[in-house]
Amino acid sequence: MSKKDSASPMHIKRSTGDWIFDIAVIILFSIFTFVCIFPFYYLLINTISDNDLVTSGKVNFIPLLKNAQGNGVFGIQVNNYIALRNVQDLGSSVVITVARTILGTALMVITSAWAGYLVTKQKMWKRSFWYRFLVITMYFNAGLVPWYMNMLMMGLTDNFLAYIIPGMVAPYNIILVKTYIESIPASLEESAIIDGAGTTKVWLKIILPLSVPILATIAIFGAVGNWNSFQDSLLLMNNSPSLYTLQHRLYIYLNSSSNLGAMMSQGGTVSEQAAASMLNQRVIQYTVSMVSIIPILLVYPFMQRFFVKGIMLGAVKG
Amino acid sequence: MQASVKPVQTAAESQAPAQRIPLWIFRIAALLAGLAMFFPPVNPGRVSEKINEAASLFTTGVSYSTITNSMGRILRSQWIQDKDITLLMAACCILMVGVAACCVGACMSLGNRRMRKTGMILPIAGAPVMGVGLLLIHRVYTSIVQHAEEVGKTGTVLPILPEGFKVFVFFAALLLVTALMAFFTTRVRDDDEKMDMDEKYRLFLMMLPVILLSFIFAYLPIYGWRFAFFDYKPGGNIGPDNFVGFKWFASLFNDPATVSDLIRVLRNTLIMSGLGILTSWLPIAFAVLLAEIRSTRFQRVVQTLTTIPNFISWVLVYAIAICIFSTDGFINSFLTNVMHVAGAKTNYLQIADHTWLKMLLWGTWKGVGWSAIIYIAGIAGIDQQLYEAARVDGANRFRCIWHITIPGLMPTYMVMLLMSIAGILSNGMEQYLVFENAMNKDVIEVLDLYVYHIGIGQNQIPLSTVVGISKSLIGVTLLFGANGISKAIRGESII
Repeated sequence: MSKKDSASPMHIKRSTGDWIFDIAVIILFSIFTFVCIFPFYYLLINTISDNDLVTSGKVNFIPLLKNAQGNGVFGIQVNNYIALRNVQDLGSSVVITVARTILGTALMVITSAWAGYLVTKQKMWKRSFWYRFLVITMYFNAGLVPWYMNMLMMGLTDNFLAYIIPGMVAPYNIILVKTYIESIPASLEESAIIDGAGTTKVWLKIILPLSVPILATIAIFGAVGNWNSFQDSLLLMNNSPSLYTLQHRLYIYLNSSSNLGAMMSQGGTVSEQAAASMLNQRVIQYTVSMVSIIPILLVYPFMQRFFVKGIMLGAVKG
Repeated sequence: MQASVKPVQTAAESQAPAQRIPLWIFRIAALLAGLAMFFPPVNPGRVSEKINEAASLFTTGVSYSTITNSMGRILRSQWIQDKDITLLMAACCILMVGVAACCVGACMSLGNRRMRKTGMILPIAGAPVMGVGLLLIHRVYTSIVQHAEEVGKTGTVLPILPEGFKVFVFFAALLLVTALMAFFTTRVRDDDEKMDMDEKYRLFLMMLPVILLSFIFAYLPIYGWRFAFFDYKPGGNIGPDNFVGFKWFASLFNDPATVSDLIRVLRNTLIMSGLGILTSWLPIAFAVLLAEIRSTRFQRVVQTLTTIPNFISWVLVYAIAICIFSTDGFINSFLTNVMHVAGAKTNYLQIADHTWLKMLLWGTWKGVGWSAIIYIAGIAGIDQQLYEAARVDGANRFRCIWHITIPGLMPTYMVMLLMSIAGILSNGMEQYLVFENAMNKDVIEVLDLYVYHIGIGQNQIPLSTVVGISKSLIGVTLLFGANGISKAIRGESII
């Protein structure tokens, strides 16, 4: 933060009240940060500990494995992750999700870069009308059911293309790209035009290389959005379980488990055996959850440097 | 670009109306024909009622499985022959080639005289190609009729000559006539340069694919609003016989079951949105307090870690909720094994108490760190001299916060607040869908989730469309209202 340089005058006159306030704030933030992070950690240690210890609720703060006496000692195992190979339908949903993340993001970025550049062109026929035509779709939608009926009409139910085509035109991202391109000195473009480059060539050779930062921003946010996609799979893929996304698959796993859990707590109908296998099933569900969190955590460090840029640009609307 | 050096003769300028009118009719007809290719109600290839109703001309041309997926026995017993379907697909492809040629011609008609004239050759050739495609479709139709009569299954196969067939015959004729008129009225003079197009139209044509995509996926759904005026059942048809006018709209106020449902979901929606608005100052508090911490490393770590939950989906939030709060989640095992509380076996997710508050807390957990970023950036943008001047005047840090930081963040906050007021009816459905269960169903169902349940779950298409329309219209009104307030107070619009 740019407060750094001005911190010194404040530093000089710190009263006791200031110290108490500072400590209170630090404690407050530490607690909230812990609350934000601990669930992820807890999920992780439950997937890498001994499953019996997880079942009996022994794994609370550190990953445990059984020693010779059957007691828990610190240690980890990855058998649960290997066991995922046998989980039904998981593989196809991972493939589908990875495919839609790559294809959907790439097409969205290209479309946004192209449209974002064209809407900066004052010479375009009815430019401001078409720009508003695109932007207004951010604030208005016809509703869930008409949208669904439209997708049905377009043949985009039970069809992989439904994951990538509708997402291509993202008005918000077009605004971001447009705003960014407008900040590029116009002289660069003009000199290329004088050298005889056409619109497409200027876009390819001048605009695209210069707008890499904003394209990276929208790409990374788009990729996370695609990876997390659940609703379109839920609504459109009713007859094609092989096209379910990972989140949809996880949702199904989670629900089958919580139903069993509800039955358990009402007592007796489910045998000990079934309870144990249910809990192992639960461990598997934790593991699947972990698998769908990991890619996000992996790209997260790269995302961070784009946060403020993405948000600030959003505040500067078109 | 040459356009900037030498002005190019364009279609719109320097033309007599006699030339302009056929050209405009042609362009509009080509655009409509192009769109009609993707529009199932006017599919000319639906020569039997057993062909999927949801298949457009385009789908009929490219996807064997889509057009045959509801035929079953008809296809297995070859009451409709495979060769007819193959021919039908070929015919549709030929028809589409013709339409495509007309569309390209329409694009070229935006160029200079020479380009326009050259461009008209395409539809003059393309319209007859459409004719060939249509003739072939007709031939498939007669062949299906004949074959069905031979096997005595006319009543099962249900051959029809679809409405779309006539529509496309009309389009082909119209395109041909107008293209011919445009072709013969366009005189290319010797001094006309080579083919060229004014830059404004060239840029427009480059933009056109994006515009069309946006039209298809964001505007065309409005066409689905027609279901609100019919007694429509999935798989059924809509027509004059089941037109009901505003019956479904009236049922929002008349039908007791619907009214009580609506009151319930509106209560949930407004309470949850209201709680969100009431706590919308939390990100500001987060940002202001974080900025008070002098260690930038601590600030960075907090910011990094508290933003993570924003990037996981609601399904994953639910997974986390299960692993913390369910019967054998963290809370229960902590109570049992660490605190030695006997009988700690509560499934907190199944308890309906305080559902609104819980949903608010989950939303805060997920979003507050992320929402604070915009304010953190805002604080960084405040002029440091203001703080120095205030301190010289003897202001302590709380006065600095109150008189400098908070007012500095107010404009951003007002925008956020107005946007959330405009979106008061739309809290999305994902969060509530994943947390919904038999216990909390009544208190968690918000408007979006209700529309999903009655529309997709119970197939009450007209009623859910009516609710959706009302919601959209109220939402737009609120947005413009908020925008008007913003203009009046701040002199700046938010959209």
